[in-house]
Amino acid sequence: MTAGPTGTATLEPLPPPEADTGAAARLGPRRWVRENLFSSPLDSVLTVIFGLLLAYVVYRGLRFALVSGRWEIIRVNLTNFAIGRFPREQVPRLWAAIFVAAAGIGLGSGMAASAGPTSRPVDTLRRLAPLAVLIVVLLSLARTPTPALLTLCGVAVLVGAHFLGRRLPARLARRVHWVYLGTVLAIFVVLTQFGGVAWNAWGGLLLTLFLAVAGIALSFPIGVLLALGRRSSFPAVRVVCVGYIELIRGVPLITLLFMAGFALGFFLPVGVPRPGLVTRALVAFVAFTAAYVAEIVRGGLQGVSSGQVEAAQAIGLSPVKTTRLIVLPQALRNVIPALVGQFISLFKDTSLVAFLAVLEILSVAQLVTQQDDFRGQSLQAEALVFVSFVYWTFCYAMSRASQRLERRLAVGER
Amino acid sequence: MTDATINADATTVGGTGEPIIVCENVDKLFGDFQALEDINLRVGKQEVVVVIGPSGSGKSTLIRCINRLEKHDRGRIVVDGVEMSDDVRHITEIRREVGMVFQQFNLFPHMTVLENITLGPRQVRRWNKRKAEETAMQQLERVQIPEQAAKYPGQLSGGQQQRVAIARALAMQPKVMLFDEPTSALDPEMIKEVLDVMQELAESGMTMIVVTHEMGFARSVADRVVFMADGQIVEVGTPEHFFTSPEEDRTKLFLSQIL
Repeated sequence: MTAGPTGTATLEPLPPPEADTGAAARLGPRRWVRENLFSSPLDSVLTVIFGLLLAYVVYRGLRFALVSGRWEIIRVNLTNFAIGRFPREQVPRLWAAIFVAAAGIGLGSGMAASAGPTSRPVDTLRRLAPLAVLIVVLLSLARTPTPALLTLCGVAVLVGAHFLGRRLPARLARRVHWVYLGTVLAIFVVLTQFGGVAWNAWGGLLLTLFLAVAGIALSFPIGVLLALGRRSSFPAVRVVCVGYIELIRGVPLITLLFMAGFALGFFLPVGVPRPGLVTRALVAFVAFTAAYVAEIVRGGLQGVSSGQVEAAQAIGLSPVKTTRLIVLPQALRNVIPALVGQFISLFKDTSLVAFLAVLEILSVAQLVTQQDDFRGQSLQAEALVFVSFVYWTFCYAMSRASQRLERRLAVGER
Repeated sequence: MTDATINADATTVGGTGEPIIVCENVDKLFGDFQALEDINLRVGKQEVVVVIGPSGSGKSTLIRCINRLEKHDRGRIVVDGVEMSDDVRHITEIRREVGMVFQQFNLFPHMTVLENITLGPRQVRRWNKRKAEETAMQQLERVQIPEQAAKYPGQLSGGQQQRVAIARALAMQPKVMLFDEPTSALDPEMIKEVLDVMQELAESGMTMIVVTHEMGFARSVADRVVFMADGQIVEVGTPEHFFTSPEEDRTKLFLSQIL
């Protein structure tokens, strides 16, 4: 520290710890191997055992992926996996939606990059690698060049929008959430409005993504409100919020889904039109996740020191502004890992709608093995491995995005 | 000596002679514990009052009652003609005119220094961004760290953080400044830079109530020193009188322990 009593001195950032700057590179490969893998007899034994294990697993994995796996079932049903029962003549809308998404994500990331710390292209590629691999795998399975061409166009739109976003004034970066919100709304308009397809007729990965995105987008604000309500000074509000949270958390998600799917009639008044199955499932997901989000956010709220509230009060901020400007931003930043964990959970739990005979990607994987061409050939492994890979790429992307968000928001933290 | 006589009355006003803070018969209870007992204190415009006393004597509670971080149970508190009550408008009005500096700085860690300082003027006084930022920079000049405006609190030293906290309070252009042990959480080498800023502020005519253990500051800057013990005001006087010829035994004991 070089701060002096005059206050003109500044704190210089310390160099990163040695471990982060690639000790392996400086040690040289031979020394690195000796020091890390064979430093003692026990170390050597463990290295050999786990090395053999790893080699076996990798061998079997690669053999399955490249030699023994019969991937025709995936190739034939690629469209089914992607969109389920979505009407085929409406597929151009999906491409339009993908372009809208590419433009929105590109623009948003560009705007954020123009304001925040820039990351090297290498890091960006590494972060997006699994998604890129997924896309390449999917395109390589497709029989026509059209999807590949359209994907290339989409990537071009993404990159173009990104550089457009970088050129926008930096002060707009604070409004970047409006770009993402607008993108999501635009996608829904493109898919469902003007003769489009209501989401109750969606399927496959499209439906999985819809349930996850809509579930996250709706459960987050509701959960935050529940958490705030739980700390409200009005007893009535508090009781309702606590009651809701405890009730929901005491019931398995699958029970809520069954209720939404089969028992909703008991709860809705006569004459109210019954919403479609997907809508009902979404309601169950939102109701469930909101309660968990509320508990996570409550933990974050408790972590904000009372001194912060007092400082805000002393300036004269109203209670609402104190919460909105001082308490919530700090509370939410502190619970990003837990929140993202909950949302990853939700993403995978969308597979439970299979029980409602709603065809998301996992149900598709089950159904295709019953097709005339593939029945009795024990192709479950291929279908399930493929679906697992799809789930994993998205979950991994979310997890990486959360780490990045944490680092960005931790600006100035010691 | 009975309690009634030991409870010194600090109702003679210093400064310009016109009272801006009036506390009359103020009591504050935390459960069964009486934190403040029958406090009578008047602070005049442009007066600097330093409150000292052993820990747990109610010094902090007293100034926290003046801007309603704590609610007093009995008695009256009037700040600049506005009586403190449960009425939210009164509370907001008083908080707008009373700046506070905390022991732990309590800067907002997710905002830059400039954002910390402009928050109050923009949100409470409803100034536009330019006016708020100009005023903020003036205050940063005043505490001598304008070059830190774009940094986050976590990147500053303790002394710098406390000076930002002072600038943040001043940016609201308050009529009174409250200091709750502003140097107690600082490393020794940073205490002086904060005390210098406070002294400069006192010389500029700001009305101040300062809770502190810095006897040097009390001696050189205070118009009056208030000594508190066990929730009561025991003795009040000019620094000269207070440090050279204290009257109460409790005061003598305290001074003998710290000097």
